[in-house]
Amino acid sequence: MPAAGLKTIIALSFVLAVGFLLVILSCALFKSYYPLLVVATYVLAPVPNWICSHCANPDDFVESSGAAVLDLGRFCTGFLVVMGFALPVILAHSGIITVPAMIMSVIGGLLIYGTIVSFGMFFQEEQEF
Amino acid sequence: MSEDRLWKFRKPEWMNSAQARNAGVYTAGGLFSLAFYVLLDSAVWSKKVNGSNVHINFVDWLPFIFSSLGMLIINSVEKQRLSADSFSYSGSGVAWKARVVLFLGFAALAGGMSGGAIVFVLKFVVDEVGWPAMTMGVENVVANALVGLSTVVLWISQNMEDEYAYNLAL
Repeated sequence: MPAAGLKTIIALSFVLAVGFLLVILSCALFKSYYPLLVVATYVLAPVPNWICSHCANPDDFVESSGAAVLDLGRFCTGFLVVMGFALPVILAHSGIITVPAMIMSVIGGLLIYGTIVSFGMFFQEEQEF
Repeated sequence: MSEDRLWKFRKPEWMNSAQARNAGVYTAGGLFSLAFYVLLDSAVWSKKVNGSNVHINFVDWLPFIFSSLGMLIINSVEKQRLSADSFSYSGSGVAWKARVVLFLGFAALAGGMSGGAIVFVLKFVVDEVGWPAMTMGVENVVANALVGLSTVVLWISQNMEDEYAYNLAL
């Protein structure tokens, strides 16, 4: 996308700030700081993908061992993304956090993760060949 | 390649794309995560708000451990060694070894799934546990079923790989 310029950066950072605001509010309003774990999950989510893409050589289709490492990274990323949803739901189900805190932290986490993903999608072009 | 097809219906064309394959792997990870957190939910619920005197302990985790182990084994086997009954791929009994290991993996997976059902029946149904506490047993069954589903999704999306690599090699 060639139109990804300054406006996109501003919009993305605004959305990121709103996401963090929601998560921090969901902690601070109810005096229970467990929902902060959601932020850690979503920030950590792209890391396995990133590490494994550096380990693998995507050109060797013959042995397909490179693809296996890539798959492991994707599997772990999927695991972490669902963990971001599941964690607040578990905490709310057991009464550790309240249901409004759960809703706020899930929405905030979605905004944060959506920002990370769309940032990666917008600004990936330079690295491709 | 299309001459030795067995089934009448061919695979849809989009299934061979890399995106579908990647989405399958992501979905498998998500399903496995869901399974783990369903079980974790039952454990946390048992510790925090459980009113009854049935509690989650190590026995409830054992089926999940077995089915995860089975999933690990099944998806670590190289699939091409398995399907090759020609001599060129499966040199000195590699296909046979792959089948044995795969059998162990499926046995662990099925054992885990039936273990979940056993825990549910023996610990919750037979003792006639009331309903809010019965959820812990149901969650055990659901978690093991989700591990099985995750295995299936991962297996299918790894089998897409061959067609995809073949298309690229052309």
